[in-house]
Amino acid sequence: MDILAFLIQGFAVAIEPQNLFLALVGCTIGTLIGALPGLGPVNGVALLIPLAFNFGLSPTAALILLVSVYYGTMYGGRISSIVLNIPGDEPAMMTTLDGYPMALKGRGGEALGLSAVASFVGATIATIGLTLFAPLLVGFAIRFGPAEYFALFMLAFATIGGVTSGSYTKSFIAACLGLLLGTVGLDPASGISRYTFGWYELYDGVDFIAALVGLFAISECLVFLEDTRRSNPVGQQLGSAVPGMKRARQCAPTIARGSLIGFIAGVLPGAGASLGSFLAYTLEKRWLGRKGDFGNGDPRGVAAPEAGNNAAAGGALIPMLSLGIPGSGTTAILLALLLSMNITPGPLLFDQQPDMVWGLVAALFIGNIMLLILNVPLVGLFARVLRAPTWLLMPVVMLVAFVGVYSLNNSAFDLYVMLAFGVLGYVLRKLEIPTVPVVLGLLLGGQMEFNLRRAMAISGGDWSILFGSGISIGIYVFAIALILAGMLYSWWLERSGER
Amino acid sequence: MISQESEKPSQPPALGDRIAGAVLAVLALAAWWYSHTFVTGFLQPVGPGVFPRLVCVPLGVLSIYLLCRPGINQRWPKGAVLLRQLGLLVLLGGYAGFLEPWGFLPSTLLCSVLLIRLFDASWRQALISGAVLTIVLYLLFEFALGIPLPDIPMLSD
Amino acid sequence: MAILQRPLNTLAAAALLGLGLTVSLPSQALPISSCLAPADPGGGWDFTCRSVGKLLHDLGLVDSPVQVVNMPGGVGAVAFSNVAGKRADDSDLIVATSTVGITQIAQGRYPGDVDTMRWLGMLGTDVGVVLVDDDSPYQTLDDLLEALVDDPSSVVMAGSSGIGGWDHIRALMLAKAAGLSSDQIGGVRWVQFDGGGPAVTQMMGGHVDAVSTDLGEIAGFIQSGDVRVLAVLADEPLAPPFDDLPTAVSQGYDVTGYNWRGFYTGGEVSDADYQSMVDTLKSLYDSPEWKQVAEHNGLVPLWRGGDEFTGFVRDTAEQVESISREIGVIQ
Repeated sequence: MDILAFLIQGFAVAIEPQNLFLALVGCTIGTLIGALPGLGPVNGVALLIPLAFNFGLSPTAALILLVSVYYGTMYGGRISSIVLNIPGDEPAMMTTLDGYPMALKGRGGEALGLSAVASFVGATIATIGLTLFAPLLVGFAIRFGPAEYFALFMLAFATIGGVTSGSYTKSFIAACLGLLLGTVGLDPASGISRYTFGWYELYDGVDFIAALVGLFAISECLVFLEDTRRSNPVGQQLGSAVPGMKRARQCAPTIARGSLIGFIAGVLPGAGASLGSFLAYTLEKRWLGRKGDFGNGDPRGVAAPEAGNNAAAGGALIPMLSLGIPGSGTTAILLALLLSMNITPGPLLFDQQPDMVWGLVAALFIGNIMLLILNVPLVGLFARVLRAPTWLLMPVVMLVAFVGVYSLNNSAFDLYVMLAFGVLGYVLRKLEIPTVPVVLGLLLGGQMEFNLRRAMAISGGDWSILFGSGISIGIYVFAIALILAGMLYSWWLERSGER
Repeated sequence: MISQESEKPSQPPALGDRIAGAVLAVLALAAWWYSHTFVTGFLQPVGPGVFPRLVCVPLGVLSIYLLCRPGINQRWPKGAVLLRQLGLLVLLGGYAGFLEPWGFLPSTLLCSVLLIRLFDASWRQALISGAVLTIVLYLLFEFALGIPLPDIPMLSD
Repeated sequence: MAILQRPLNTLAAAALLGLGLTVSLPSQALPISSCLAPADPGGGWDFTCRSVGKLLHDLGLVDSPVQVVNMPGGVGAVAFSNVAGKRADDSDLIVATSTVGITQIAQGRYPGDVDTMRWLGMLGTDVGVVLVDDDSPYQTLDDLLEALVDDPSSVVMAGSSGIGGWDHIRALMLAKAAGLSSDQIGGVRWVQFDGGGPAVTQMMGGHVDAVSTDLGEIAGFIQSGDVRVLAVLADEPLAPPFDDLPTAVSQGYDVTGYNWRGFYTGGEVSDADYQSMVDTLKSLYDSPEWKQVAEHNGLVPLWRGGDEFTGFVRDTAEQVESISREIGVIQ
């Protein structure tokens, strides 16, 4: 058991007082940055990379600091999701669905605590999977070719009807709208610009964060303006940050299932963490059926995507470390970190630099534990922030979002994009068309399209390649079963609603 | 959607959804038509126009379905509320436009004061908090986060 | 993606701005502070930025660490158009590019031509390889090319560039050398992935048959023995540890395909700033550290800078354009 020895050694390094202190600093700074709408892991890590070099930290120490910042920003994104209904980054989007309703019911603290616990468990399960099965899983991951990835994206969009409680038609319309918006920009395969209408700023596509902040933050602000005298709906109490035993028992199976789904999605480099958290949410919703109250503040609706997201981030380490392929935006940042420390992930990394691999795993673990502990004082802090009057809170949120989005590309154009999406988000809300599928279409559409085109290039234009392997057929069968189950379910809901 | 559960869906099922259905159907049709301009000079089994068209089909069909069988909407804003919301958009749009030509500090100060006023604070509150907010944001981004903000009035694009 | 870090004299500017004054500071040569990698982390352009950026700081050629910004899209077109449109006079910005970028320009796929930018210099060159999975039926380059000539659609090839990109063109040059006729050349199946690593991984999974890409990006897979290299597209055998890989030339196909790595900057950077950037890169090239980094990653150190480099880029673009026409990629 060489692996175990290395892992223990990694932990021994990670829990040295200096490194623990770095983890604490990193998590705190990261959380604060991540809680600002529009600012995310990229900002946090970019901020601290020069710092890590300037202080002459050892590679392991630098890794711990940066990983902690990274985790901190992810967690910070949850805070604004739950407390303000404004997600900081894309995996946090799923957390708004039940986290914010929980906060409205005065259980925001619990939602935050649960998010930290579920993240921790998800990451732990992923770490165990990584430790035990990495070589096996690499073999599994490479069996996914373009056709299989396309099937996986079809599955994601087949389950999209279950995202929110609204009508299926409207969910699918929202998804199609997102997919269409996702095709805007230069087509990488041919270099042709699509739907840019000569606007050079759109060559890069619709900026994802600008769209996300617009759809959620600006539209939230427009809703607020309907009644400015109304006090902050989340109220002044967040409640306890520690989920009780009963809640823990209720959520444990959800967290386990979410972690498993997320882990599988993470291991597949073309799928990514956001798909992991999304599938964890929608599949759990289907699994629970009537037993769940997803969309109305069901704690399991927070636990599932959080566990899924972190398990996916952990699972994505496998292709990232052993193949050098970043599966998601999150691992891309970690890959950039490793490269900046002259560590080149690839098939030889596990053999040649096992200390780095397991040092990284240990660092991820320490970061998670640190967040779990930090959660208690942070909930108090954010409860205090919420006590600010609405006339101050909303403008602050607005301006931070504005400057944050501006700083992404130093582009005023992104601000107009954000405003346009804000109006779109508000109109969609009024129409009761869910906004989450729009973002998912925007986010996943590109990879979906390119895998389709790759598959067709391999087959020379023969569409039957899409159903050419056991894996893809299996995924389609599963997707169709889910659609049918969903249609039956909504038909049954309508029937029972008529009574 | 979520923060609105206190308001009952009040309008008869129809108008909003019908308009949205019509608009989206037209959008799908236009996007379909426009995708035929994506031409490459070399052979690809699936070119740049195919995927947008594949998306336009369900979008169009579902939009027409929505047009024919509309669901429920929330209450649409009217009168003063609508005016206030338009005010917000104009204010933020103006801010986006003036941020670079004016520089961060003056444009943010102006925008934050007006924004706070829009949320029904008094002039006194707005001026003081606006000024503090502007300075805090400036310090936060420029120095703490190391993200440069437009300081020297430069070209407007 | 974020564009970060444009250090300006913020304090002074802020003080002036507070008074509402409009000022324009005299232009001054800024040290290189950011490197734009027109690809996702992990690819060749990203590696160029990160290794050069780190060395610039390590060698004391710049005061603060060079910020690497990833701006993927359009095989570099997004970054190109961004620099042309917004940062044409940023004298602290360098952008990683390579033969791949020049190929795109030559085929008119960037919004601009060679003269849109100022070409700083190249620091080293990567070498094209053609490889198959270690349990592929194709044992030699002859096997692969025979199958290709026999039935062009029987072999699915992949790489990190799109149709008509450098990886594709190199593969087709080999097929042409093996006797594939011009009218059949369009029948070769080509799949684009996001980089050499994903292409090789997909080949290991059995989804494509052969990969044509650069050595540097996938050196780890060669060293681990997961793939079999059929040919390197170099004039001479490479330096160790890749010295036992056969060249295409040695197997009777007169095809070479280098992929140099270098940098450009915006077209409106002043002559003085341009010269100081070229000098900085030259100092970097002259250091033993760069030679070490380059060789460690399968790059052959090679310097061309300033006007010489600009001329070289023009020549390459013309060559690629004529090859593209010849094999029918552009009309």
